[in-house]
Amino acid sequence: MSCSNLTMWVSSKPSLSDSSLLSFRSSLNPFQLPSHNSPTASPSKSVIQCGLRELRERIDSVKNTQKITEAMKLVAAAKVRRAQEAVVNGRPFSETLVEVLYNINEQLQTDDIDVPLTKVRPVKKVALVVVTGDRGLCGGFNNAIIKKAESRIAELKDLGLDYTVISVGKKGNSYFLRRPYIPVDKFLEGGSLPTAKEAQTIADDVFSLFVSEEVDKVELLYTKFVSLVKADPVIHTLLPLSPKGEICDVNGKCVDAAEDEFFRLTTREGKLTVERDVIRTQTVEFSPILQFEQDPVQILDALLPLYLNSQILRALQESLASELAARMSAMSNATDNAVELKKNLSMVYNRQRQAKITGEILEIVAGADALV
Amino acid sequence: MTLNLCVLTPNRIVWDSKVKEIILSTNSGQIGILPNHAPIATAVDIGILRIRLNDQWLTMALMGGFARIGNNEITVLVNDAEKGSDIEPQEAQQTLEIAEANLRKAEGKRQIIEANLALRRARTRVEAINVTS
Repeated sequence: MSCSNLTMWVSSKPSLSDSSLLSFRSSLNPFQLPSHNSPTASPSKSVIQCGLRELRERIDSVKNTQKITEAMKLVAAAKVRRAQEAVVNGRPFSETLVEVLYNINEQLQTDDIDVPLTKVRPVKKVALVVVTGDRGLCGGFNNAIIKKAESRIAELKDLGLDYTVISVGKKGNSYFLRRPYIPVDKFLEGGSLPTAKEAQTIADDVFSLFVSEEVDKVELLYTKFVSLVKADPVIHTLLPLSPKGEICDVNGKCVDAAEDEFFRLTTREGKLTVERDVIRTQTVEFSPILQFEQDPVQILDALLPLYLNSQILRALQESLASELAARMSAMSNATDNAVELKKNLSMVYNRQRQAKITGEILEIVAGADALV
Repeated sequence: MTLNLCVLTPNRIVWDSKVKEIILSTNSGQIGILPNHAPIATAVDIGILRIRLNDQWLTMALMGGFARIGNNEITVLVNDAEKGSDIEPQEAQQTLEIAEANLRKAEGKRQIIEANLALRRARTRVEAINVTS
């Protein structure tokens, strides 16, 4: 019946104003009775054409949907907090790493070092690591990153460069599987919480691609977590690493890795908010008599893969946090819409019920009148 | 005169407290570190790390990384670290057997390298258990 298409009404789009919402949808309602095709005085009420029982069923189903979306929102909120904890736990490592890398690089500046991971070659082929989510129902999150990847692919094509994709996350996998004309090197699945192991898998793959000179540049496309309501799809150049430990974006603009950012979810006045800290790691002076147990090249060889891993791990964590934040706001919108729909439906239901009662009373009175 | 050891992995801090002495497997062999060691920087191989707390020896399996020693502070950055007491002996033994079988089956340069790495990781974990017991 006309009540069956209701679940799609509880969409994750931001809610429109009351009357425009319903009247807009009424024009799409294929089950509308023909006698009501002309707009009446109160369009927002007249469009819901159901019997009392159907109305009741519809209200129940909206109620259920609302419960589900609300639960999903809460789950996402709890998970954002966990994701943030993971970032905080990883900080001592990345801080120390950046510090050591910086210091060693200072000492090696004069030497002519040749590390495979930092070698800049003329670019013929580019590998794109696209990080997507594992699940839907999170607004435009997956679409945004895939669109970014598509536009980057188009750019590379225009430049006449070859490319290959490493897809991380189920949503990206299914997207690229449906498009066999995009060359994909590997499909990987992100876990529920990214760990060093997942980052390692990606790093190993990227590493072997780059070192075997199959590709000359590796770019990482992921969603950067800005705040609970904002997330930006960004492109980072992963390889070649600059020996100083800088991350460069496509335009060659370099971000110093020592400027470490992390986000913190807090509750302010009962609402979830996000604080983002930028912390400059102060670089403690190394003692000048520091000796290298091995060749500096060997030490850099040991350090740079660690650095690569921590970069990838960071990207995975940010992407997960953005996904959860997107799901949170999408589900919160859906809940709002469901509440509104429920309100309108119950109003119509109550009116119809009252009309029915009034009609019955009129009939009884008329019948009693006739008997007199 | 105490020595402070800090073992960091990308996920968490595995160890951060005072120790008496450690033996570290570096790329150029094992080195023992006592308080007031000369400042050095070294690459850490896949291997075991032995830690002495008073008269007790603890073992940890390290999965490759980097260490910096200086000023009575040891910072070890590794991809992964597991305490010997946390490793399941049977599971580790099984992983080792699987890794050995994989190496025998491996073909091509890339596969052999990967299988070798897995084997070394598995062997280190088994070693870490056996040293403790």
